[in-house]
Formats: sequence, C-alpha cells, structure tokens
Amino acid sequence: MARDKEKRSCGQVVAEWREFLWDPRTRRFLGRTGSSWGLMIRPCAEGLDVTFNVSQSQTWLQYVRALHQFLEPYNDSVQAARNAACPAGRYNEQPDDSVPNYPKRACRFNRSLLGPCAGLGPHGDYGYASGQPCVLVKVNRVINFFPGKNKSINIVCAAKVNYTQPVVAVQFPNATANVDHHVECRLNAAGLRTDDERDKFAGRVAFRLRINRD
Amino acid sequence: MVKKRSDVYSVEIYGTKDLQKTEIEDEEEKHKDSKGNKKKKKAEDLKKELDLDDHRLNTSELEKKYGTSIDKGLSSARAAEILARDGPNALTPPKATPEIVKFLKQMIGGFSILLWIGAAFSWISFGIQLAQEVDSAFDNLYLGVVLALVVILTGIFAYYQEAKSTNIMASFSKMIPQQALVLRDAEKKELPADQLVVGDIVEIKGGDRIPADIRLISTQGCKVDNSSLTGESEPQSRSCEFTHENPLETRNIAFYSTTCVEGTATGIVINTGDRTIIGRIASLASGVGNEKTPIAIEIEHFVYLVAGVAISIGVLFFIISVSMRYKILDSIIFLIGIIVANVPEGLLATVTVSLSLTAKRMAKKNCLVKNLEAVETLGSTSIICSDKTGTLTQNRMTVAHLWFDNQIYSADTSEDQTTQPFDQSSPSWTALSKIVTLCNRAEFRPGQENLPIMKRVVVGDASETALLKFSEVILGDVMSIRAQNRKVAEIPFNSTNKFQLSIHETDDPHDKRFLLVMKGAPERILERCSTIMINGKEEPLDSEKAEAFQTAYMELGGMGERVLGFCHLYLPENEFPEGFQFDTDSMNFPTSNLCFVGLLSMIDPPRSTVPDAVSKCRSAGIKVIMVTGDHPITAKAIAKSVGIISATSETVEDIAKRLNIPVEQVNRREATAAVVNGMELKDMSSEQLDEILRGHSEIVFARTSPQQKLIIVEGCQRQGAVVAVTGDGVNDSPALKKADIGIAMGIAGSDAAKNAADMVLLDDNFASIVTGVEEGRLIFDNLKKTIAYTLTKNIAELCPFLIYIIASIPMPIGTITILFIDLGTDIIPSVALAYEKAESDIMNRRPRNKRKDRLVNQQLAVYSYLQIGIMQSVGAFVTYFTVYAEQGFLPSTLLGVRVDWESNAIQDFEDSYGQQWTKYQRTYLQWTGYTAFFVSITIQQVADLIIRKTRRNSIFRQGLFRNKVIWVGIFSQIGIALILTYGLGHVTALNFTPLRFQYWFVAVPFAILIWVYDEIRKLLIRRYPGRGTSPCCPSALTNGSEEHHPGRLKNNSEGKELLGPACSEIKFISTRANPDKEQQVLLVPRLFLNSPGEPKVSGLTFASGAREVRADNGAVVNKEVNV
Repeated sequence: MARDKEKRSCGQVVAEWREFLWDPRTRRFLGRTGSSWGLMIRPCAEGLDVTFNVSQSQTWLQYVRALHQFLEPYNDSVQAARNAACPAGRYNEQPDDSVPNYPKRACRFNRSLLGPCAGLGPHGDYGYASGQPCVLVKVNRVINFFPGKNKSINIVCAAKVNYTQPVVAVQFPNATANVDHHVECRLNAAGLRTDDERDKFAGRVAFRLRINRD
Repeated sequence: MVKKRSDVYSVEIYGTKDLQKTEIEDEEEKHKDSKGNKKKKKAEDLKKELDLDDHRLNTSELEKKYGTSIDKGLSSARAAEILARDGPNALTPPKATPEIVKFLKQMIGGFSILLWIGAAFSWISFGIQLAQEVDSAFDNLYLGVVLALVVILTGIFAYYQEAKSTNIMASFSKMIPQQALVLRDAEKKELPADQLVVGDIVEIKGGDRIPADIRLISTQGCKVDNSSLTGESEPQSRSCEFTHENPLETRNIAFYSTTCVEGTATGIVINTGDRTIIGRIASLASGVGNEKTPIAIEIEHFVYLVAGVAISIGVLFFIISVSMRYKILDSIIFLIGIIVANVPEGLLATVTVSLSLTAKRMAKKNCLVKNLEAVETLGSTSIICSDKTGTLTQNRMTVAHLWFDNQIYSADTSEDQTTQPFDQSSPSWTALSKIVTLCNRAEFRPGQENLPIMKRVVVGDASETALLKFSEVILGDVMSIRAQNRKVAEIPFNSTNKFQLSIHETDDPHDKRFLLVMKGAPERILERCSTIMINGKEEPLDSEKAEAFQTAYMELGGMGERVLGFCHLYLPENEFPEGFQFDTDSMNFPTSNLCFVGLLSMIDPPRSTVPDAVSKCRSAGIKVIMVTGDHPITAKAIAKSVGIISATSETVEDIAKRLNIPVEQVNRREATAAVVNGMELKDMSSEQLDEILRGHSEIVFARTSPQQKLIIVEGCQRQGAVVAVTGDGVNDSPALKKADIGIAMGIAGSDAAKNAADMVLLDDNFASIVTGVEEGRLIFDNLKKTIAYTLTKNIAELCPFLIYIIASIPMPIGTITILFIDLGTDIIPSVALAYEKAESDIMNRRPRNKRKDRLVNQQLAVYSYLQIGIMQSVGAFVTYFTVYAEQGFLPSTLLGVRVDWESNAIQDFEDSYGQQWTKYQRTYLQWTGYTAFFVSITIQQVADLIIRKTRRNSIFRQGLFRNKVIWVGIFSQIGIALILTYGLGHVTALNFTPLRFQYWFVAVPFAILIWVYDEIRKLLIRRYPGRGTSPCCPSALTNGSEEHHPGRLKNNSEGKELLGPACSEIKFISTRANPDKEQQVLLVPRLFLNSPGEPKVSGLTFASGAREVRADNGAVVNKEVNV
C-alpha cells in the first residue's frame, strides 16, 4: 500500500518535472515562456483606482488630461504619417531577411476608432463629465510574440457593472454611483493564459472604479 | 544525582553537597584569578599546605587520629559517614564548560553576531512593512529566518565538530574503574577505589596503583614508582619508618596515583581525592590559565578585519542611501544585504573542517589533538622543550659499547636489531659473553618465542634486561645456555658490594671446574682482579693495562653510558671439587685475584628517527631544548647523538677544556651550546635564564625537576616563542598547561598530563611531533589559501549592492542568492584547498612570527578584494548586462530606473525596444539576473580555486591533478549551480530561474583572465622576490643567472654571499659557470650552518681556480664544491 502511494507520488513528481520541462498548455520550456501579454489601463491612477466625483470637475480633469496625452500619438494624422495600413486578419510581419528592414512600420491604429472614447468630440471628456467614464485597456507591446494564433482576440471585462463593446476602450455608461466597482478585464484569445498566479497583469487587468455623485 | 562527564575521569557520582562545594571553590579561584599572580601564590600554598604529620605519628596515634583499627578497619557505617562528608576518592575533573555554554558560544562567536543583527533588522523591517501593508513584507521575514538558520546551522556544525574531537579524547582515555583491597568490618573487601575514605586500611601489592595517599604500617620489599609525581625514574623503596621530615621524602608514605612496583604493603588512608598531593597539583595545573591558541588569535583578527570592513561599508552606504533620499527602511535592507555580502558565512565552518581533517591526518601519524586549534599551534612552534627518556630515546637500556682486548667496539642500538656487527672472533669475547649470559638474573616471560627479541617482556631490572637481550641476540637461546651451566651459588647485586656474583658448573662435561662470574661497577671489579684477558690469554694486570682500562672507562662514561665491568675465575678443581657446597654468607670461595675480561656500557639509546627529526626541526628554525631529570653527562651525550647539540658546537666547559683555561675566562658568546644543571637553575634569576635562552642556540637542561619545567617554559615564552612542551608526569601538568602546546605521552603519560595537554603523542616519539609541525604549517598555508579564495567573491557579492544604491539599477543579486554561494557552491572547494600539498619544503622555513605573519594580511586582503575580486565583479556585471540587454534592456536604460522598476503600479515598463513589461515579468527578469550573476561568480570561482592552489609557484609546477579533491570541489561547485538553476529554478522563494544555457559562458573569458593574471603575478614574484616574500631556505639557488630563488646571492668584496635563513643543505640548480673569476669564494652565513655537521653544498661550479665555500666567520666549510 505504502509502496503504491510512494510510486504514485513518484509518478507525480516525474509528471511535474515533465510539465516543468515542457508545458504544452502554456508552451513553456523550462518554466520560461517566450512572453505573455500584459494588460494595463489608462488613465493609470495610483493603485489602479479610478475614483472621481461627477460634479467636481477637478476630480476627473486629471484623468481626461492623461487620456488626451496618452492618445496624442494615436491621432489619425500621426498614424497616417508613421504607420502602415494593414490588411485585417493577418499578422503584420516585417522580417529582416537579408537587408535590415528599417524603419519598421506598425499597423495603423486610429484614435477615431475608439468612438465615444476617442475624446475627439467637442467636450472631449471621455464621458467623465456625464458619469460614463472611458477606461482604455492597453495591451503591452511584446516583440516576436504572435498572440491569438491568427484568431481574433477580444477583451472581456467582468465586473458588477454592465459594459459596452469589449474593445480596447471600455466605457461604463451606467455604472452605479457611489459604489466601488472591481473591474477585471481579460484577454480572450487562444493560447493565452490569463490565470497566472504570480503575474496579476498577464492577459488581464483589475482595477477599481468609483463614480461619486452628490 | 548522576552526572556523566566525557573526560578522563570517567563516570563519577556526586552528592549535591559536593557539587556545591566545587562551585564555591571555583568562585574562590575566580576571585584569585582577578587578583592576578594567583599561580605563584598557589604554588607556595602547595608547599605550605604540606604540613602532614602523619609520617611522624606511630600506629596507635594514627588509629586514634583516624578513629580506625588496624586489625578491623573502619565499620561500614562509619566509612559511609566519612564518604558522605569527604566525597568520593577521586579527583574532581577540571570543571568542564557546560555543553549549553559551549553551544551558545558557537552561536554568538565570530560572524554570528553580525548575522544575528542582520536577522533582527530583517524582522524589524518585516514588522514595519507588515504594518504598512507592503506586499513584499514577507520577503524580509524569510530573509531573517534564513539568516538565523544559517547562524544556527553553522553553530551546530561547529559545535558538533568540537564535540567530536573531544569525544575522541574521552574514549581514548577512559579508565577502567580501579579496585582496592580494603579492610572493613574486620573483613577484606574489594571496593572501587573511589569509595575509599580516610582511615581505611588498604593492602597493596606489586603492580597496583596506590589508591589514595597512604601512611604505611607494614611493608614487605615494597617499592613504588614515584616518577609521575617527582620525576625520579628509579623505583623508591617504602617502609614503615619515618625517615624524613618532608612528607614527600619520607619512606612511610605512598602517594595516590603512583604505582607499587614490587612487594606488598598495608597502610592507612590519610588523604583522599582532591586532598591528596596529586589532587593539589592537579588543581594547581587547572589554575594555570589556558592562553588563546595562535590560530584562534588569527581567526579573531580575521573576523575583526572582515567585520570591520562589513560594518564600515554598511554604515557608509546606509548614510549614503539615507542622504540619497532612500527610505530609512530601504536603507536598512541595503545594510543587511551589505553585511550578508561581506560576511563569509561558510568560512568558519570550513576552517573547522580543515582543522579537523588535519587533526585526523595527525592522529594517523600518532599525534592525537584534543583541541582542534592546537593543530596549527604546533605549526607555529618555535621552541620544543622535549623530555629525554622515552621521547628522544627508546626508554630501554641497550648495550652500546664493549671494551675487550684493549679495544672499544660499538654495538648496534637500533630498535629492531637482529644481529650485532662487531668482531666476535676473539676468544676474549667468548669469555665475556659467557659472563654476560650467566651473571644475570633477568628472564624472558614465557610464551614470547615468536616475538622479536627486542620486543619481548623481561622480568628484571633495566641493565640486566639490556644484557639479556644483548646476549640473546648474539648467542641465541640464553635460557638453555644457563641450563647447561647450572648455577650453584649466587650473590645478587647490592649497593654496598656494588657487584653481582654467581658460580656455575661449566657446559664442558670434561671440565669439572666451577666458573665464578662477576659483574659490577668497573672500578670495584678491577680492584678484585690481578690479571686481564687479552685475546683469550690471561695477562698480568700491570699499570699500563690498568691505564688502558681507565681510558676506556672514562671514554665510555664520558659518553653518558652506564658502564659495567666483567670478570671471571675458574675455581681450581682440587680446592672446589664436584658437589662443593658454596656458602654465600661466609664467602667460602675467592673474590679477589680474578681475571678481568671486559667492559660493557649501556645507554638508553636515541630512537633511530630522532636525529633526522631534530635536524628537520633545525632547518625549520625550531629550537629543540632537552629537559631531563637525567645526569648532565648522559643528557649531553644523548643530545649530541640526536643532534640537539651539534657535532661542532661547544659548551663553555668544552671551550675551557680545549683552551685549558678556567671556565670563568671563556667568552660565553663563543659557546653555542649549554648544559644547565637543575641545581644551577634553582639559583638563577629569570634574567639569567633569559640570557641563557637567548645566548645559546643549543640548550640541555639536566637534573631538572618537573616543576622547573614550568620555569623554563615561561622563560621561553618571555622570548616571544611559541613553546611546545612534552611531559608525562603529573608534575608536568602545570608546564603542559602553560606551554602554547602541551604534548603528553600516550604510553608513558599519566592521566593528569594527558588531561592538561593539548595533544597526546600516541607513540611517545619525538619524530611524531615533527610530522605534526609539518601538518600544522601546511594547514596554516592552506587556510590562507582558503581565506583568499573565500574573500575574493565577497567583492563580487558586495558590488551589486553598492552599484544598486548609487546607480539605481535593478538589483543584480539577491541576498538569498549570496547565501547560496557562501554556503553552497563555495564550501566544498574551500575545504578542498586544505588537501593541497605544500608548495615548497615548508620545513625549510622559519616558524611564523606570530606578530608579523598573520593569517590574513594586507597583501592578501588587497589582492583578493581589490584585484581578483574586482575582476570577478566586472565579469559578473558583464553577464548581468548581457542578460538584460538580450531581454531588451540596454545598459544605459537600466541606470536610475530603480524606483519605476520596483513600482507595483507600473505594469507596462518599457524597455529599449519599446516592449512593455509587467511588474512580475520584470521581477522574473531580475531573478534571471540573480541567477546569471550567481552563475558567473561560480564560474569565476573555479578559476579562483585553481589559482589559489599555489601562492608562488606556477599552477603547472604544482600540478593541476595532484590534489584530486580540488576537482571534487570544482565539480561540486558546478553541480550545485546546475541543480540550483535548473532543478530548483521553479521554486519561487529561492529566486533562481532556469537560465539560458549560453549565459553560463559569458564569464568564462574573465575566468581565464583571472588565471592568466595570477600566473603573471606569480611569475613576477618568482622573478623579483622582494622583501615581502617569506624567507625560505635556499635549498635551491641558481648561480650566475638573475633568478635567485628563494635565497639570494649578493656580491661583496670577498665573493658571493648567500643571504637567507638556516638550512642544512644548499643546492645550486644552475651549473652555469660564474664568469667573474674574482668571485670564487662563496660566503655562507653561519646561520646556514646551524645544522648538525656541515651543510651539503652541491651543484655549484666555479669557472676556474680555487673554489671554496666559507662560513662568514671564516671557517672553511667545503673546499671542493664541484659536481
């Protein structure tokens, strides 16, 4: 009996080791992985805590300003000048075959795509003034990383609130006021882990949102 | 209460009362300690306290005094009462330090205290961070726990090592409980000796150990061996008479722990346990403080040095980091890191292991070391005060010379003689051998036929034993010869006659005459002779022949030998017919007008290995002083034969005799040797003794009492010498304690001596001390290497913290990772250095000067820290930056990023390629950095290990593969690193990550650089030996070329002069001719010539003309030095 137990635990150890050497699930070799995607939000507040009072503009103006600044490089004009228009549904690879391919051009990502969260309107307040704040979920840039295995990627934000289109920009149109909302956004794509115990930002991001109304 | 003690006194039972008393006594002793000069006072006390008057009392007074009865003894009840009052009859073992104190000492000694401080800081910062709810708070808790564990484990390890070596001693010296025959309740009982009480009537017989101090009341031919007490080697007879006022001299007292050699005796116990004379001396010995061993001083010095560096760098950077606006808490954490990086956590354990390895090796060579640190003390010894009997000599009389036919013959005195080489064809020898064989009462114990003759046990006194063995070797079966020559009458030796006589029938059946044989003091024998045998013929003993006898007798006596004369007489058949009744009382036979046959002289010959060992000591710069209770002539003779007094040197008396002037007129400076009599020593002031010790290089103290040994030891220590002392008697124990290293004799030594000593010589052989010295010196050299090796990587561990603080880069190496180097990869290699063979002949070097030749000196520290250490740090940082660069962080982007890098809020930290990193990804990269840093230190430590094998010689000369353990070390180092990185790489707490394989090789060029750099350094040192190099004997010199190693040749007006310390052999490697014809005289400092005989000079060639080697005092040493 004891022998069996020992054998099983021994087998387990071997299995664990094998998994450590090569984990097909995460495609990790020796515990390493090429990379994983990190997620981050904008506006990036201290402690990932977006709290403001709708009626007091000074509480949210900082967020608006931060988003303006962040989105500057995404202006359509800038994107058109710097980046290339890519066909959809394909990785935009720019290999250095024999001659260095320089400057490399990333795919265009126009600010206008963000719609109500583009902050381009006359108010340009990203919905903060009306208590429908936009939070941008940003995906870290990782070189030589092909996420999603040629399948489309979406982001799911689960919280105790309703949420709009799961795109890069998340707007909270009718979040309950004066309540803490713990929001977690996850990348939803094939082969991407979003449950790494140690890295709380691998393929996901969690933040607190609180809209105060007087 | 039963207390088990692991010391020489085995298991004893104590009443609580007794324990309390001991404590009080100890307190008193401490009190005396604080007052100082307690020892002298105690020695005087000892003499005063001997106010025994029991030897003066008669039997009935004694009975009354002790409430006992000679016929009935004590009643059991009374005995139990006294036992309860006085305690058991056993010496209180020297108060052993309680185990828990020993353990705690290990816990706080050395660097432990620093690490405890580190642990405490870790816990404090954990507490603060916990209160502030910082995520990483627990890291500090773990770090504190790890540091505490490190201290506790290394402490336990050191304690275990210490205990193990103590246990060897305990098991070695465990005594069988002694029994005593006691009269109690009018019955004879066998009781354990420790149950004896004052007033008990005990019986002793030959072979017993005296169980207590005893006043004898009846004796029969009782003799005791008091040598362990008084140093007298001859057995002393004991009787009931009061013969001397001094209780130590009177015959009617037998002392505890001495042995009864022969006869029987009955006596009253007058003192037991610690109140016996021996007990008092033993407590005197325990009063002599134990001084710190040289290696303990060295290690302390080293600990202070490193701790000083650690604390000052730590505090400096604490101030810097505070003034750079780091938080106080962060600064404290840096401080911990700096301390951990600076402290070589594993080193003290390594030193302990190295010492115990050497101790083991020494035990194999018959040196049993009680105290690990004593291993090295022996190596730094500069004076050995050695006993003569048994240590330098074989401790058995042996026939050394014979004189017959007007000629002196030498006999073989070696330990394993099987034949005698001298000419045995003369008929005189036949006659002499017959007397030697027959006029002898000694006999072999039966049943030893298979043993070599020299090893057989003999019943009989020392001279007779020598003669018996001598004749057995030459003639074969002595017992059958004696049987064939039946003994018909005998007068044994006595001190009034000074002769021994026996009458035998002859083995020739046709010769019916009786043969009278006689031996004794030569002058007494000669008096009784009228003829002398020359070549088998009796010739009249005229004055010329008598003078020849005198000359021979003086010559043999002058060699310190005990001379015996032999003569015989064939009794005329007509006067003494067959069956004649000889009466030894009326002496009805002639005892004069005999025929003198020859002389035999005996000596306790030196052990055959001793002369070599003494000359080794000389070339090793160790002064050997003989301290003996023996007669000065004998002492001097043995000293000469073993080389303690070299062939060429003279004492003041010798010079006086040679120049035929009074002793007072001799220039004392000219005499290199001195033989000091114990009587002279008694009247000497310490200044006079100092002058003798300083002024003479070869000293023999003869007729000294064991107490004077202590004076001599103190004198030597006043000269700043590290003194080793041998001893066996109880009275030697104060000297053994006082000496820097006390060496007790394993065979002849008393328990008290073994107890007081630091080392026990299992074979009682002086030569074993020399092998011990060699091991001791080797371990000192090797510990230097170990320390240099260990210190080097401290810089590579420290730099990361400093640069982290100043340049704000991501942390290059973690505190836990450092511990894995210090206590993981580095341990086996540093122990392996203890197995390194000596670089050059370490026995041709002077003993280290304990004030100058430190274990860790500035040179070693600077070279390790600032040269190799810095190179290692550079190598490790290159690896670090390589890893970061390959992952996306170019070195320039790393500067000043610390705050953002460590911020939990930043999950999209951008690298040089614009990649963005979450906090965890950055931490993981940081751990990869730790691992890479760790691996590159490990790789470079391999090179460090290899270069540390030697300190002067090229590695290629030392041989890379001679010390196999080094390779075990290298493989273990790499093996442990592989296991840590790939095996434990997924254990988060350890901060290791499975490293990309190529990162292992980044530091390899630096490792090679370290090796090449060090080889160049060694080459330069060999080429240009400056003052910094330790002086070596120029056993190898090159002549004519620039390379003067290790001695130096200096030109002077007369020729070339050799500079360097003492040695017995000068060898020139190069035979290249000296082009300068003017310089054809080589001046050798007298220093070189202090070995017995002339130094051998070889390998030297001069171009042409006269060639000579001269001592710088002008004496020509060696005229022909051509090879």
